Amino acid sequence: MQRSRFSGYTACAAALALGALFLFYAFLNVSQSDIVSLDSLGSTAFYAITIPIALVALLVCGTGLWVGWTILTIKVAPPMPEIVEKKDFARFKALVLCLLVLAVAAAFVYGLSVRSYWALAIPAAAVTLVVLGMVFWVGVAIITARATLPESKKK
Amino acid sequence: MRILFLCYRGNPFCGGQGIYLYHLTKELAKLGAQIDVIVGPPYPDPLDEWARVFRLDNLNLWAERTRRLPYEKLARVLSPWHFTDYFLTRFHIFPEMETFSMRAFFFMKELLRKRRYDIIHDVQCLGWGLLPMKEYGMPIVTTVHHPLTHDRRADFMVDRNMWEMFCTIMFYPLTMQRAVINRLDRVITSSRSGVSDLGAEYGVRPEKVSVVYNGMDVEGFRNTGEPREKRSLLFVGNTEDHKKGMRYLFEALALLPRDVTLTIVDEGPPGRLSAWNIITELGLRERVRFTGKVSLQELASLYSRATVLVMASLHEGFGLPAAEAMACGTPVVATTAGALPEVVGDEGAGILVPPRDGKALADAVMKILADAGLRGSMGEKGRRRAEENFAWPVAARNTMAVYRDVIESYRRAV
Repeated sequence: MQRSRFSGYTACAAALALGALFLFYAFLNVSQSDIVSLDSLGSTAFYAITIPIALVALLVCGTGLWVGWTILTIKVAPPMPEIVEKKDFARFKALVLCLLVLAVAAAFVYGLSVRSYWALAIPAAAVTLVVLGMVFWVGVAIITARATLPESKKK
Repeated sequence: MRILFLCYRGNPFCGGQGIYLYHLTKELAKLGAQIDVIVGPPYPDPLDEWARVFRLDNLNLWAERTRRLPYEKLARVLSPWHFTDYFLTRFHIFPEMETFSMRAFFFMKELLRKRRYDIIHDVQCLGWGLLPMKEYGMPIVTTVHHPLTHDRRADFMVDRNMWEMFCTIMFYPLTMQRAVINRLDRVITSSRSGVSDLGAEYGVRPEKVSVVYNGMDVEGFRNTGEPREKRSLLFVGNTEDHKKGMRYLFEALALLPRDVTLTIVDEGPPGRLSAWNIITELGLRERVRFTGKVSLQELASLYSRATVLVMASLHEGFGLPAAEAMACGTPVVATTAGALPEVVGDEGAGILVPPRDGKALADAVMKILADAGLRGSMGEKGRRRAEENFAWPVAARNTMAVYRDVIESYRRAV
């Protein structure tokens, strides 16, 4: 194996392995008693896990709400003539986005209040898998990337 | 005086901050200042004669698809700061300012073991890293030519759908800039209109803002003596920047006689199509010419040969092309947007018209085209105004005065 490709294979393998481990232990290998046992966690342990996950989840929801709200409340001079007609539909979509985000945030907060395992597991999975997905994607790109110099020049 | 400049993009050919960095540091050094520069890529032309330059890394991942990244970049993407850049750019966030300021903060920790500074001068970065940097015990000033809110508004005007609006919202780091700017010791802006602008957009108190007019190379931009064309308009600027009001410029051209032509100093099709689409729509293809990128000498020649420089801007933080044209003795027709009235002045170097009014632009241009005597007197007044107000040595002296004031206030307060 070319040394230059080694980091790519390593990144892919690490991302796949960590992703698989995460999914297995967080979703597949969880018994009903484990989920219920979240209730038995002490307050300190519960909040130590909950607060970072809640901050990230609410940050994402907040960003979605902010984007939707900004589109809904844009106050700029009239847009360029050629696009006036196309802008109104975006506002409807922005309203849907706001409502959707509010619903997700409310469900998340409710989940936390009843100490639901899934309220923690789903956002944690989303963040972990997005980051690992990016690492994997970079790894694939490294493996398949062409070196800058064409083969003829390398010789 | 020992000054540390921070500039996240230092090359003069990739934006105004590079030009500002190059000329201001050069003139400040002539005034006896010791200049160090921490700069991100694309890196500036050599400043080594008058400044010590520390280059910080950045892979410039914005708008680059992962599969198209060269191997040399990919191999480094997985390091912490590069991965932060990579992660954020995938969500259409433009993180260069954030990560440059954080990299600079950590770099300074090492730098300050060997070097001392009286003041830090940030060039329109306003990244989060400036906040912990305050703990290094030096005042920080920043230069902001105009709030990015204007750029965002201009982008909203042409966004066609929800996705484009989402990208626009994510791109501009307004929350960060609003939070950081109010915690710095002084804001330098390039026009009096900028003071109220910064107050309205970022809530900056007027007493925290100092006005220093932008400098320009008044020796480089001098009339070349070439024969002036009789019916030729000139536009200099980024045609993809929606604040430039290109549609109104082309509407004005369409109202002018057919022998009046327009030269645009920017790339045209196929790379840049925004302006070309409007040109095509209005049937102006035969009357508009794109020069592409030109050297400073070529630009001075274009200014010197043009009959009128036209700026249809919807907002300008300063309006450097107007000052450059005036320095070359070329009459200016510009809108009253942003700082343009301050640059053109009221001494008769140009004619100001309301923004978003192609007819008013056309009328003003016609007035100048029809009167050779008026053109001559406007050119003379413009040159005089440029020399007196917009030379880099003047900007450097005024900036130095701001530094002294800030340092004195800072030391009094400590």
